[in-house]
Amino acid sequence: MAKKLLRALGKLLGFLAKTAAVLFAATFAIYWFNLENKLLYYVVRPFLNKHYDSQQRDRRV
Amino acid sequence: MRDLKHLIYFENLLQEANNTLVQQAVADGKLALGYTCYYIPEVLLKLEGCFPVLLRAPRSSSPDIATYYMTNRNCPYTRCILERALEGGYNFLSALFGSETCAAMERAQEHFFLLNPVKNDKFFVTILDGPIKDDKTSLDFYEDQVRLKVLEPLRDRCGIDTSEEALHRAIEKHNALCRVITEIGNFRKAENPVITGYEFHVIQLVSEVCPQELILPLLEETLEELRTREPDPKPWYRARVVLCGSEVDDPEFTKLIEQCGAMVVADRYCYGSFPGREEIEIRPGETAFRAICRAYLETNQCPRFMSTSKVNARHRYVKKLVDDFHADGVIYENMKFCEFWSYEKVLGFQVLSREMGVPVCTVEKDYTNGSFGQLRTRFQAFVESLEIKKLSK
Amino acid sequence: MKKILKAVVSRIDKKLEKYDPIKQAEAGTGGQRSRYYDKTGIAKHREWRGVEDTLFDYSVWLKNLGAMGIMVAKSPVRTLKAFWEYRWMGSFLGTFAFLDRCLEGYRGPELRAGGANLSAIVKNVTVKLGIVIQNDRRFGEAKNSDRLVGMDETLPPLFLTGFKDLILFPMQTFPEFLICDIDQQLMPYYIDVAESFGLPADVCARCAAETGVAIDDAFPIYGKAILTTNMPCNASEATSMFQTRRIGLPDFVAAMPMLHNEAEVHKYTEQILRDAIAFVEEHYGVKYDWDAFFQHAKSMNEQNRIELEKWEIFKTDYSALSGIAESLYRLYSWASANGTDDRFLKNDRKVIEIMRRAYEERHRPFGGKTRHRAFLWAPSAVYYTDFPTWLQNCWGVCIVLNMDSTMGYNMISEDDPEQAIRDLALFEEKGVMRHHAVGGWDNINAVWDWAKRFNCDMVIFNDNVACKGMNGVHGMMEEQARALGIHFLFVEHDLEDCRTIPRRAMREQVNKYMSIVLGEEPLDATLVDFDDSEAW
Repeated sequence: MAKKLLRALGKLLGFLAKTAAVLFAATFAIYWFNLENKLLYYVVRPFLNKHYDSQQRDRRV
Repeated sequence: MRDLKHLIYFENLLQEANNTLVQQAVADGKLALGYTCYYIPEVLLKLEGCFPVLLRAPRSSSPDIATYYMTNRNCPYTRCILERALEGGYNFLSALFGSETCAAMERAQEHFFLLNPVKNDKFFVTILDGPIKDDKTSLDFYEDQVRLKVLEPLRDRCGIDTSEEALHRAIEKHNALCRVITEIGNFRKAENPVITGYEFHVIQLVSEVCPQELILPLLEETLEELRTREPDPKPWYRARVVLCGSEVDDPEFTKLIEQCGAMVVADRYCYGSFPGREEIEIRPGETAFRAICRAYLETNQCPRFMSTSKVNARHRYVKKLVDDFHADGVIYENMKFCEFWSYEKVLGFQVLSREMGVPVCTVEKDYTNGSFGQLRTRFQAFVESLEIKKLSK
Repeated sequence: MKKILKAVVSRIDKKLEKYDPIKQAEAGTGGQRSRYYDKTGIAKHREWRGVEDTLFDYSVWLKNLGAMGIMVAKSPVRTLKAFWEYRWMGSFLGTFAFLDRCLEGYRGPELRAGGANLSAIVKNVTVKLGIVIQNDRRFGEAKNSDRLVGMDETLPPLFLTGFKDLILFPMQTFPEFLICDIDQQLMPYYIDVAESFGLPADVCARCAAETGVAIDDAFPIYGKAILTTNMPCNASEATSMFQTRRIGLPDFVAAMPMLHNEAEVHKYTEQILRDAIAFVEEHYGVKYDWDAFFQHAKSMNEQNRIELEKWEIFKTDYSALSGIAESLYRLYSWASANGTDDRFLKNDRKVIEIMRRAYEERHRPFGGKTRHRAFLWAPSAVYYTDFPTWLQNCWGVCIVLNMDSTMGYNMISEDDPEQAIRDLALFEEKGVMRHHAVGGWDNINAVWDWAKRFNCDMVIFNDNVACKGMNGVHGMMEEQARALGIHFLFVEHDLEDCRTIPRRAMREQVNKYMSIVLGEEPLDATLVDFDDSEAW
């Protein structure tokens, strides 16, 4: 029983460790290669700016 | 129309801050007290033994030294005032009652005590902090400031009698002038007036830059003259306008507008008569001093007043002038680099033209006359638009 | 185990040293700008700072990402609506790039102190943005809309923290002020809107931008009343009138005396504070709670005590905090938060520990390459917030302190309401851009004493070309500097309009002074001249 528990715990820890490693790798890659800023600057902001430029605003004093 | 008898004399008086009447009063032992802003109650500077001089720098060209100190990105009026001081043009002053009512003017006034340009042993500077609301707290604050920065220095440094009785007398004296100027100004209401806006501008200015005892008799004579002056067979103007805005101490500006066909029927600008020539009333229970402070705070139309009630009141005030003086439109002018009037003219334009249906023209001017060519075109176009509007009615 | 780890890290650091831009600059093989795409301000990759510092920076990045994620998660639909509605919201997406710019070249304790400070700001901003998004009536009525009290951002909110059930909100900070720090391209849009309605181009760009936000209907809608103020200056008063009109709620003008050094004026400030409290009570139907206020006063007092301790360390060569990490934090934590958020106190306690340790170890920040200690005077260019970082990295000029950091630091009574009001009057008067920029010549001229106190050999004067008050003292400042023999330069800028005097032009003014007048060589040649015209 105890062995089974330990094995399960081991599997869980292993899974968590792998997940953490993958998350770390993925987020660190995004961080290191500045991917979020590149996406925002080259894709998201131009899209938003186009929308903002086309807005009809209630402009008055 | 027949020329006014004293007009040329008045025009000559405006050519120098230290004009012949100022020199005469100073020679008689009176103290010349300079000031630049409505926040300094003019009436207080008319206490016995002194007289107010609203500072101008006539015939200014290029204020090079003042520009070094204050940069060319600052109000040209304040720079010209400082330049004139550095040139020695204000050595007759015994004091400058300044005010922190705009940053540019405050900085210029600081140079008066930093550089010491006024070569007069008696000369001193005070700077008043003006309120931007007209509630009770603000009135108390204003009263305190006027006492600290004007009344007490007058008493302690100039030896002037500032008692309640003396203030009563100053109010009466000031009111006498106000009645004369107001009556002269009211001639502009007529459909075919016996006075031009330019003439009134000259008259209003001399009342601000000359000792009252010496100028009032001449103004009273002028009033008499106007009562019987024959107007031209028909009105010379093509449109009637209220001139509203910041500092205008050069009657040539008014002349320019009138040469373009628009008569300036009301002068709602710094140095104008609206406000400034209303009689001061002492209400029951009020001291003369409190009455003075209340009157100047209530009538003050400076665009630095921020409370919504004051902002709205300013626009209603202009509209009332339009109605009372039967104006066809309003010209909002601001001195270049004037922060307050830059904003106010935008607001004024929106409210007057879009909400109140009054045609508005906005212009920017320099202190010197450099940009008159461009302004002429703007005024001519505005006059034409007013004519077209009148025709289409 | 620790030793082994340290050895491994050390080995990796040695191997990867060639990727460290500071080492590259030393070797002449590159520098900070080597990893950037031209004009865009977007880096090809983040800065290699060594294993420890890079991992630390990464952890701060994760933390900030988490803060933003929480903000979105709390109200995803409304957040998206806000991005769709407000142009300024879109600019907040540039936050990461902004933080990178600010902390460029930071290592060791200065990275830790700077990272902590900027993260504290990010956390507070995301919380506040979340609140306003959730309660913006533009997206529908929400349960807390009526609890928000809009205040002019230059009116320090501490005195109203006695309204414990209300949320005090700086109106202009997000649509106009802070966002200009992050994205230099945004404010020209709002300035153009204001100018299209006739506002002259020579007025203060910040106030023109605020006016443009009002005209463009870009203020969130919340609350039952607002408080405006005449602080700090003329243009601010003038734009407030536009904003009040557009927002359309009852307003109270907290009109502080301009000549705030004069003893006689304080009683009026006290009365104004009382009047403001009465106004809020009337319009929000709540009573002021002095006990609640005293809690916040206690927190603010401790923050200010820590601040004063920081100043003692700033005077030395061993301060882990300087430059933008110091000034932006002080500006935000004092002006915007101002005792309303205990996170800043917790952060201060953490950062002062970092500073104390660094001081005890006699740690010279920035690799000991600081050549000049400068005091930064007058309002800074908002579109070039990381200017102090550039100064440090390019020329070794450390901004020891800046004018706005000297805002109200007097202690507030923690138990006596009348004394608290008196203390608050002094506190409020010395608000942002006010303590020294207005109030008379002595306030501006105090720069020389401050520079001396902080052992500075240089004064850099932020020369806002549209600031009439600062323009008015130009000649006198030059003459003073000449007489005192102190290194002094004006750096012209246009506060929030990056078009008039772009960042590159600002740098060029410094380059000329440093190379021609002082005859110095840059620490990092890649930073001398580069094009970031299309950067956020």
